[in-house]
Amino acid sequence: MKTWVLLVVLVALGALRVWRRAKRRSGAPRQSRLRFAPLTSDVGLVAAREMRERFRGRIFRVGTVLILLVVAGAIVIPTLNKGKSEPQRIGVVGPLAAPLRAVVANYARGAGLTVYFVPESGVGAAKDDLRSGRIDLAIINAGQLLVDKSTGADATSTIPQLASDLGDAEAIAAAHLSAAQASELAGAKALPIMSLQPGPANKTLATSLIGLILIFVMLSQYNTWILIGVMEEKSSRVIEVLLAAVRPIQLLAGKVLGIGLVALTQATVIVAFALLLAKGVGSNLLHGTGPSVVLSTLVWLFLGYAFYCWVYAAAGSMAERQDQVQSLAFPLSIPIIFGYVMALTAASSGSVSSFFKVLAYLPPTAPFAMPVLVGLGAVAWWQFLASAVISVVCTIAMARVAAGVYRRAILRTGGRVRIREIFGRANAS
Amino acid sequence: MASLLQLEGLRQRYGTLTALDDLSFNVAAGQVVGFLGPNGAGKTTTMRAIFGLTDLDAGTVKWNGAKVSQAERRRFGYMPEERGLYPGMHVGEQLEYLGRLHAMSASSARSAAEMWLERLGIADRTDSKVESLSHGNQQRVQLAAALVHGPELIILDEPLAGLDPTGIDDIGNVLTEQARAGQCVLFSSHQLDQVEDLCESVTIIDHGRLVVSGRVDELATSGARRLVVRVEGDRDASWANGIAGVTVSEVNGGEARLVLSDGVDSESVLRAAMAKGRLTEFVFQRRRLSEVFREALG
Repeated sequence: MKTWVLLVVLVALGALRVWRRAKRRSGAPRQSRLRFAPLTSDVGLVAAREMRERFRGRIFRVGTVLILLVVAGAIVIPTLNKGKSEPQRIGVVGPLAAPLRAVVANYARGAGLTVYFVPESGVGAAKDDLRSGRIDLAIINAGQLLVDKSTGADATSTIPQLASDLGDAEAIAAAHLSAAQASELAGAKALPIMSLQPGPANKTLATSLIGLILIFVMLSQYNTWILIGVMEEKSSRVIEVLLAAVRPIQLLAGKVLGIGLVALTQATVIVAFALLLAKGVGSNLLHGTGPSVVLSTLVWLFLGYAFYCWVYAAAGSMAERQDQVQSLAFPLSIPIIFGYVMALTAASSGSVSSFFKVLAYLPPTAPFAMPVLVGLGAVAWWQFLASAVISVVCTIAMARVAAGVYRRAILRTGGRVRIREIFGRANAS
Repeated sequence: MASLLQLEGLRQRYGTLTALDDLSFNVAAGQVVGFLGPNGAGKTTTMRAIFGLTDLDAGTVKWNGAKVSQAERRRFGYMPEERGLYPGMHVGEQLEYLGRLHAMSASSARSAAEMWLERLGIADRTDSKVESLSHGNQQRVQLAAALVHGPELIILDEPLAGLDPTGIDDIGNVLTEQARAGQCVLFSSHQLDQVEDLCESVTIIDHGRLVVSGRVDELATSGARRLVVRVEGDRDASWANGIAGVTVSEVNGGEARLVLSDGVDSESVLRAAMAKGRLTEFVFQRRRLSEVFREALG
């Protein structure tokens, strides 16, 4: 394990060193303002403008509200349904001893319900009341439960548990045990079950699904902002005024940083809202591996954005019109959609294939696959870290390529720029 | 030493097209310099090269004798041919932002933006979005964007295009003021009459090469003499066609503009005109800039 950690650290340091050396070789004069005062640097100025304009925009505000509503629905609705499906009025045919009534009351408290006992004149009357919906359950002569649905129809029903509890109470009463013995038996708990397999997926299924949807929506939204933002600067020719004052890489870095910070702010608001709401309504969103899923969702949202933002910025610099943007956006969205669908399938089924595990190490699909593996408890911390390091290294390489494409394409006007033109002779229009 | 922009041996080819062909010329401070040439002559490419917006095949752009760096370009102001502003951004914020990108402090940029908007008569549009302004006012904002940081060199590509006479006067006055204040001002235009009124010097290029460069006064008084003659009742100045060394360059409402070759005696022209009818106008005039332009381009 120590060898792995050492290897990862060495790779990261090596990548950083290569990047800094290449930066020095490019001949760009060092700008101390950039290093020591990032907020007042050109990159900071560009980023601040992006943030100000995006926060002001109606799309951001309406989009945030819509996402919050969807998240609220996903958290609150399951808790509402849970309360509504249980019985509230219990018909009683014949006598029902006090200990058995106490068992029913305990059961009701555990389910968060208030129950009422309704005396019934006979079994026929109880059946009529069940069919008409006046009662939800009938106890016949303290020895039988009667319901108006198939006994195997609702896997989530707690009625079998009530039946079992009542049976236990009757057996204890019939055995004529002492009060201490009866109390000992009544407090018996089921034995814990240990498994060699990962824990059941459904505990964090909702958390994983909400995280996946969040990553998909936000990557799609913010990458599209970058694509269109770069294209609009080119088509409005404001790019010429900007590049007369700052370098292309500063402009590009400021744009992806600004939009990235907007994305991070929105994600933080959404996650904080989800956590507070889940706690408030008693949702099981954060049970089991839930906290790990939330954390990994944020980490991979960040890493996913960092990887894709450069790709979309480079693509935006090659377009000059809306129709060109659409034709460029489609192929770029394919790995995002593929990763999303594969991750949804894996999270829903609760099992992962070897192919899916491979996807968790590829930077284009890792933002979707890795949080699902975390949710299923199917990944070790060093595997998570290794995937993150691979993503960071590939992001640095991608940023370098994208900056080159951007610099060569952003000032070329008169139609969509082709890749072969970019990597051919580096002339400008 | 007065600031000086020097372009030395600029070369730029796009495939088989030569945009700049060993182009060299200087622009001195303290005067407005017109940059002229037919469409496709290479004017915009030259201006973009000054700001490093095109990768030159060869050549150097110098400022005060040294190769221009990114830091110096921040002290230049640029107004591109196809206007460049964020359509959805507020006017005042946009100017402040551009000022800050040229290394101004926030407060200085804000003050300068307010001053220029006031100076150009659009202070009431500070909080308007650029896209909501008329063409003329957008042009004014674009000019303010080029000037907000107090540049030493001002490059303007077709700043007068599409403006009404008031707009032309406003922008022309600002450019003249800047030159008087010691700045270096170079602007391109196809409206030669306005260039003649505004500029002390002109540089004319064609096919990426320098054709002529000099002070407007010197160019106007050099070359063949211009003689304007009006003969009562005459509409086509056909009487002048028979005089050796005399060319009728244009006839407008009976007023004939004649070009006299070297050695032509103006008295022979006077006699020919008087023989045609009653002479009402006979005056020598300077070469117009449009004539300088046409003659320079052959």
